[in-house]
Amino acid sequence: MNYELVCGLETHVELSTKTKIFCSCSTKFGGEPNTHCCPICIGLPGTLPKLNKAVVEYAVMAGLATNCKISPVSKMDRKNYVYPDLSKAYQISQYDMPLCRNGWVELSSGRRIRLNRIHIEEDAGKLVHDRGNTFVDYNRGGVPLIEIVTEPDLRSIAEVQEYVEKLQMILRYIGVSDCKMQEGSLRCDVNVSVRPAGQEPFGTRAEIKNMNSFAHMAKAIEYEYDRQVDLLMSGEKVVQETRRYDESSGCTEGMRGKEDADDYRYFREPDLVTILVSDEMRETIQKRMPEDPQKRIQRFLSEYQLPEADARLLIEHRRIADYFEAAAKGTKNPRTAANCILGQIFARLGTEAEKEQFNVTVSPENLHALILLLDTGKIRMNLVKSTLEKMLDSGKPASDFLSEKDLAGISADDLKAICEKAISDNERAAADYRAGKEKALKAILGSVMKATRGRANPQETEKLLADIIRR
Amino acid sequence: MVTHEEIMKIARLAKLSVKPEELDGLTKDMNSIINFADTVNSVAAADSDFDNLNNLANVFREDTVVPSFDREEILKNAPNQEDGYFLVRRKM
Amino acid sequence: MEQYSLILKLGKLLRSGEISCTELTQKFLSAAEKENKRLNAFVKLTPETALKTAAEVDRKLAAKEELPPLAGIPMTLKDNISTNGMETTCCSKILKGYVPIYDATVWKILKEQHAVLLGKANMDEFAMGSSCETSCFGGAKNPHNTQRVAGGSSGGAACAVAGNLAAFSLGSDTGGSIRQPASFCGIVGLKPTYGAVSRYGLIAYASSFDQIGPLTQSVADSALVYDAIAKYDPMDSTSSKKALPAFSSLGKDIRGIKIGVPKEYLEGIREDVKSALQSALKVYESLGAEIVEFSMPSIKYSLPVYYILACAEASSNLGRYDGIRYGYRTDHYADRNEMICKTRSEGFGAEVKRRILLGTYVLSSGYYDAFYKKAQNLRGTLIKAFEDAFAHCDVIAAPTVPMTAFPLNFTARDAVETYLTDICTVPVNIAGLPGISVPCGFGSDSMPVGLQLIGARFSEPALLNTAFQYEQAARSDVFRAVETGVAL
Ligand SMILES: [Mg+2]
Ligand SMILES: [Zn+2]
Repeated sequence: MNYELVCGLETHVELSTKTKIFCSCSTKFGGEPNTHCCPICIGLPGTLPKLNKAVVEYAVMAGLATNCKISPVSKMDRKNYVYPDLSKAYQISQYDMPLCRNGWVELSSGRRIRLNRIHIEEDAGKLVHDRGNTFVDYNRGGVPLIEIVTEPDLRSIAEVQEYVEKLQMILRYIGVSDCKMQEGSLRCDVNVSVRPAGQEPFGTRAEIKNMNSFAHMAKAIEYEYDRQVDLLMSGEKVVQETRRYDESSGCTEGMRGKEDADDYRYFREPDLVTILVSDEMRETIQKRMPEDPQKRIQRFLSEYQLPEADARLLIEHRRIADYFEAAAKGTKNPRTAANCILGQIFARLGTEAEKEQFNVTVSPENLHALILLLDTGKIRMNLVKSTLEKMLDSGKPASDFLSEKDLAGISADDLKAICEKAISDNERAAADYRAGKEKALKAILGSVMKATRGRANPQETEKLLADIIRR
Repeated sequence: MVTHEEIMKIARLAKLSVKPEELDGLTKDMNSIINFADTVNSVAAADSDFDNLNNLANVFREDTVVPSFDREEILKNAPNQEDGYFLVRRKM
Repeated sequence: MEQYSLILKLGKLLRSGEISCTELTQKFLSAAEKENKRLNAFVKLTPETALKTAAEVDRKLAAKEELPPLAGIPMTLKDNISTNGMETTCCSKILKGYVPIYDATVWKILKEQHAVLLGKANMDEFAMGSSCETSCFGGAKNPHNTQRVAGGSSGGAACAVAGNLAAFSLGSDTGGSIRQPASFCGIVGLKPTYGAVSRYGLIAYASSFDQIGPLTQSVADSALVYDAIAKYDPMDSTSSKKALPAFSSLGKDIRGIKIGVPKEYLEGIREDVKSALQSALKVYESLGAEIVEFSMPSIKYSLPVYYILACAEASSNLGRYDGIRYGYRTDHYADRNEMICKTRSEGFGAEVKRRILLGTYVLSSGYYDAFYKKAQNLRGTLIKAFEDAFAHCDVIAAPTVPMTAFPLNFTARDAVETYLTDICTVPVNIAGLPGISVPCGFGSDSMPVGLQLIGARFSEPALLNTAFQYEQAARSDVFRAVETGVAL
């Protein structure tokens, strides 16, 4: 019998706010243990949480970018469980009134993966286990998270991967998270079940916790699929449980000793008050959000006539897309602007992180000015490249590297004189041309271009040369 | 009636260890307290759910960093610490 | 106004130079040291802090600087109010040795006012109790009769004020913990409207009930302290901007006001307490107030509602005491989980464990709807009932406690029987209202009896004035000073 894979994802994403969700400590990744801490985030008795406004705004943005309904009324709840990485013995989260509901993310196939909810909560600290000793660091404790929960809509490992990549792209793009799996700012819990192909009801699911790389996630799902299919084929049952993926063996295993741990005794957080998102607040946030990346790609194709591949590369990082638009807008040569970025500028940004940062010495205004020089015929394409190199080296505008003469252009009389001199210097070539050798003209053109340091327009010069020779 | 098993389950959730000799007394105590609490179920529920006492909403903090505490202060009250971490040492 | 106000009297002595703040502080410190052996009001004295503040006040007085009303006034803080650099234990073994690294907002305010902190006051462990006897340091005694309890949970705070060992105390009131010991010790105790005073730094028992307030010898003193501490605090999301100053309202005529008396508050009340209350109502009639009896049936289930909700919150609030970041840790354990369970079992006392277990039970799956959710619903009903009541009357009058101070070791017998003694105080906490207990005479055992007045939300100015008018009219008949402690 053929079995179909059914997956649902719970994705925890760390928001890139400056401060933690309930205190003013920095959210910076890394740092010596327990140096981003205060009485609130280590849960000292008597301290109280105070909700970071930016967390609500970022979560609403994430909701809007994934087509969610934003709840006009929501609240925070306590999820109670005692574990050393949780300084208060409860996680402040959202239980029955999440901030966002009922959204979707569209895959390239056109299939929509439905989102059940997005809620805000706090991250836990970090435990380091060493020979039975437990070391606790609360730097990450209280870093804001959104948890994005899908319906069981994913049907293959490829879909899971595409969904997560799409999500990463969207969240990075709107600037709410850097979604770095390797730094743990994006982590997935995967619910896996199988059912006979064509069967409507879902099978019993197992939840694999805390996946932080695509490779592991793919292996874990594959292993879990095989395990569940084996069980069913041999007439056994899948038990609903939480499983852990073991990287060394590539297997998943049931987590023991968690018998009552799922009784979280949720109740409303009495130290915090109701969250209301008015239409006005939602619209203000919506206005501040950047254009939807899918729509922006389409616009880049029609508005700037970019090749689709170039448009995609530019849009991968919002800063780069914004930079491109600032440089290209209102010019006649948007593709040159794109080429400058994808060629010369990218050549200087080795890593993805550097691209994400996009610290470029040339301001978009200066690149824009350079493209305008090209538009107005003040410089030629060959000069664009060398000038941009100098600009990138120094951070100075193009005008610093172009002499009066470069920019002045050439008068018709001067050009005529230069052409006449070039013809007399190349008598042979002129004679060949007269004899019908069209190509001979190129040699004369070359020396004119050299003499004018590229400032002459090749087409016009060619015509002028032909006229003089024929005369 | 609350059973021994239920008391043990509740104690596990609350991370309290109950010695076998304490179990009878505790179960008796808890039964009388729970029976007392159960009197709320002799009253019909009304349409009056409770939100928060002063009906406050949207009390927020701006996203501005304030320097964190010195680690020495953070760890000052820890029963055990090492290398800047809170530490629970394994005991044999 | 100044007639019964100890704070104003001390302020005058200091400003006139009749006594220096250092002398005054030393008087109180030595009295506290001497009397504490008998009364156990303080669990820690803080002479260094006290004398340092006093010296500063003396300096400012000498420089003729303008000082706030509480400057130089000797006072205590209940030991669940966090004091930076000074041990704060909630009178629990699990927090012994814990030294906060930040100040509670109320203490920050009092420090700015240069109030003189004499020490930390005794209390029931984590504010759970009615006698102060669940304190890991042993209970505070009643200054009127040391064979009786001071009450709880702010027993030490009440004891210090009644015993003339401090001019005022800050206590906390979750289900009556300021008003009940004030009643037992024959002083004034004010539980402000929920949200009027910041909870930041108050070690939580039940977050949606807890409120800090003053214990004083007079209503005017309560108003002075209330005015100082009832400030909006950005650190507490439940803190309100609606609190209004009360002291300036004292002395206003109360002729024509309506005082409601719900008959449910009079059921099961000891006869001598009931007759003290009735005499107090007669005084009000003579002042021109109208007494209206009415019925509030929802009062009847306020006790189980309170115990369900408060214990649910407590079970969550007290989860953090795991021996990792602060406080007690057990010596012997096999693994980390056992360390946590043993630390908690050894560190918490029996009453605290009972309430954690009840709270865990009412929140656990299968019981949540029948207990927590139902109680939350009834909380809404009770809030409505009070709103309706205040549509018909200005203030509600009731006994503070159905009896006078218990004999020592009385409450240990039966948990539920002890819970029942909170019947008159908990409705105020459930509804987040202000309530004040003022002395209104003596029981047949000649122990003090308290009159409780309850107001609408943020009506402290009117509520305190109503109490003040009674005090002015009846003080000599209903108040008895204790002979020991500092006499001035
Ligand atoms: Mg979560
Ligand atoms: Zn912090």
